[in-house]
Amino acid sequence: MSAPPDSELPPNITVASRMATFFRGGGILAPLITILVAFLAGGLVVLATGHNPIETYQAIFKGSGFNWFFPWLSEDDRIIAALNLQQTLILTTPLILTGLAVAFAFRCGLFNIGGQGQYILGSIFAVWVGSSFDGMPALLHVLVAMLAGVLAGAVWAGIAGLLKALAGTNEVISTIMLNWIAIWTGVWIFNLGSPLQNDNPDQVDVPVSNDIVEGAKLPVFWGDPQLQGLHIGIFIALAALVVFWVLLNRTTLGYEVRAVGFNPDAAEASGINVRRNYVMVMAICGAFAGLGGALDLLGWQFRIATNDIQTHTLAFFGIAVALLGRNTAIGTLLGALLFAGLLTGTSVRNLDPTVFEPQLATNLTYMIQGLVVLLISTDVLVVYLLRRRRRK
Amino acid sequence: MRRPLHLIALLAMVCSLFVAACGSEEEEPATGGNKTAEETPAKEAIKVGLVTDIGGLNDRSFNQLANEGLERAKAELGVETRVLISKANSDYVPNLSTLAQQQYDLVIGVGFLMADAMNTVAPKFPNTNFAIIDVDATTMKAKPTNVSGALFKENEAGYLVGYMAGLYLKDEGGGTASSVGGQKIPPVDAYIAGYQAGVQAANPEAKVVNGYSQKFDDPAPCKELALDHIAQGAKVVFQVAGGCGLGALDAAKEKGVQGIGVDADQAYLGDQIMTSALKKVDVAVYDEIKAVQDGSFKGGDNRLFDVKSGGVGIGETNEVGAKYADQIKAEQDKIASGELTDIPNTVQ
Repeated sequence: MSAPPDSELPPNITVASRMATFFRGGGILAPLITILVAFLAGGLVVLATGHNPIETYQAIFKGSGFNWFFPWLSEDDRIIAALNLQQTLILTTPLILTGLAVAFAFRCGLFNIGGQGQYILGSIFAVWVGSSFDGMPALLHVLVAMLAGVLAGAVWAGIAGLLKALAGTNEVISTIMLNWIAIWTGVWIFNLGSPLQNDNPDQVDVPVSNDIVEGAKLPVFWGDPQLQGLHIGIFIALAALVVFWVLLNRTTLGYEVRAVGFNPDAAEASGINVRRNYVMVMAICGAFAGLGGALDLLGWQFRIATNDIQTHTLAFFGIAVALLGRNTAIGTLLGALLFAGLLTGTSVRNLDPTVFEPQLATNLTYMIQGLVVLLISTDVLVVYLLRRRRRK
Repeated sequence: MRRPLHLIALLAMVCSLFVAACGSEEEEPATGGNKTAEETPAKEAIKVGLVTDIGGLNDRSFNQLANEGLERAKAELGVETRVLISKANSDYVPNLSTLAQQQYDLVIGVGFLMADAMNTVAPKFPNTNFAIIDVDATTMKAKPTNVSGALFKENEAGYLVGYMAGLYLKDEGGGTASSVGGQKIPPVDAYIAGYQAGVQAANPEAKVVNGYSQKFDDPAPCKELALDHIAQGAKVVFQVAGGCGLGALDAAKEKGVQGIGVDADQAYLGDQIMTSALKKVDVAVYDEIKAVQDGSFKGGDNRLFDVKSGGVGIGETNEVGAKYADQIKAEQDKIASGELTDIPNTVQ
């Protein structure tokens, strides 16, 4: 990587760019310690509820399906592990993409909290295209539906970028506001009598979209396609990681993005159009998140109900994924795997209820997510203090 | 500047943690095997799994009742139970199929919202028995032969509480009867249609007002709707929205009007509860479990619960409601005897 020298602190303008500076000071060790401390703190809570933390973490690990990789597993256990792993990888897909939506913005010194709204916009457009135009050639239909989701997410985030570029609106505020607009637009659009409510005579009274038609569904390559097997979206998400890396490290745009991230004033002075970069970067972030929404709908959910839109929180995990992954491609992948495993492993159906009540365990996942975000903020502080001591 | 020794030591610690975790993972199957070996010979306990809908387990009505039926079966029939709570619509399929995969003898889906998922999952596991509340098993698209539907005549229960509300409004010298529904789905509408018919039958001059919150879990939107209805002159509020409807009954308490509970007997919520429209989901769940245990379970068919069989009815009354007990009893007998049959099922 051709990172500019980090011997001296550049003048820091935004929270995001300040955090980026300190991330570079921590290396690989800092995120590992962050996870370790988060898990230890989670373990203490488990202990306080009168359970055995080691057994609990083992049960969560088992519930995540990662034990599928162990060669000594019995045939019966392997079947269950395969199902669990499929669920984990299904969740990994949107987590990678919503993680990238945060990570890419971070590299430009922007904090994109709008992943949720961009994801929802992607879902809405994917379900609209995917459930109409029955009879379109299958491959074309999938591509068009995905593209619709990508563009919708890009435009949605682009609004925040545009506001930042033209009016200097803080993107944290505008993306949060756009989230709510997206949520309520989604609730309205699938509600009774609204444009995208289903036209199935059995379900006239249910506020849910039409089903994705067979031709627009992503192929399932592992497991039963009707019982939420693993769809090929995971490869699309992995490809997005490569795109992210190439874009950032091997293109002019990426160079400019990083330059703006390091120091917008210096970038401006050296002839980079900072405003244009803000819009571009936000649009690309939105494209990632929108793709995540599209893949979820075309890959395994196939329909979206108003209450799904209201209770959706996956995109917020994207923030923790990106922070933990230090806004790099490989880090985002690992972070997404970790949180997907935690979410599946602590779900009511996968966690062994004799070890730990799953109702509590889901909260454990939220707690670990919270701790990760909190601890990353603290290790920014730790690195900062270390640097100050060193300089004295 | 950097101290490599520390780094290595830390890495070693992290690695040893992982190794320790993996090592004990290896031993686990052994202990797990022992446990089941001890349990199985004890008695021929069947395994029953219950999947809640998105209302959650503590909705104090629908799902909670189903769970009570399950708990009763556990205590009286000695069955092994497990409950899976659904958080999103996309949870239904994996929740149902996970239980089937783990060889549960009976998997019960609670609620109309799960009909599609049941239709997908049940044909995949022909050796598992399934039961679903509020869905007609004979009209399911895939025509599964291993699903038993439990149907309730909510309109009959709705009619009885509506009749009481109508009588009350008559004594009050007029007013409006309000109903607060969750989503506009058939079981909810059957209650409301029966309720409105009951109000009109007892008091043709009474007005009715109805609204849907679109939610079954969050009390806030139901409370808002109920407050709105009360402001429009509603003197009775009937909630048909599970956990959301608790907000409507709360509004009734706040404004000093009569409230009517749904599904479970909700008299414990306070003095404002005139009565409750009962739907004995617990009985249905218990009956299905019992049927599987004694071998009389019949898939591809329905069990019907109505006023006649005691599967639906009216709950405890407060002081106001008690005044009309005799008149309500008379209506109840009319329904049970088949004299009164044309209670509507859908809201106009």
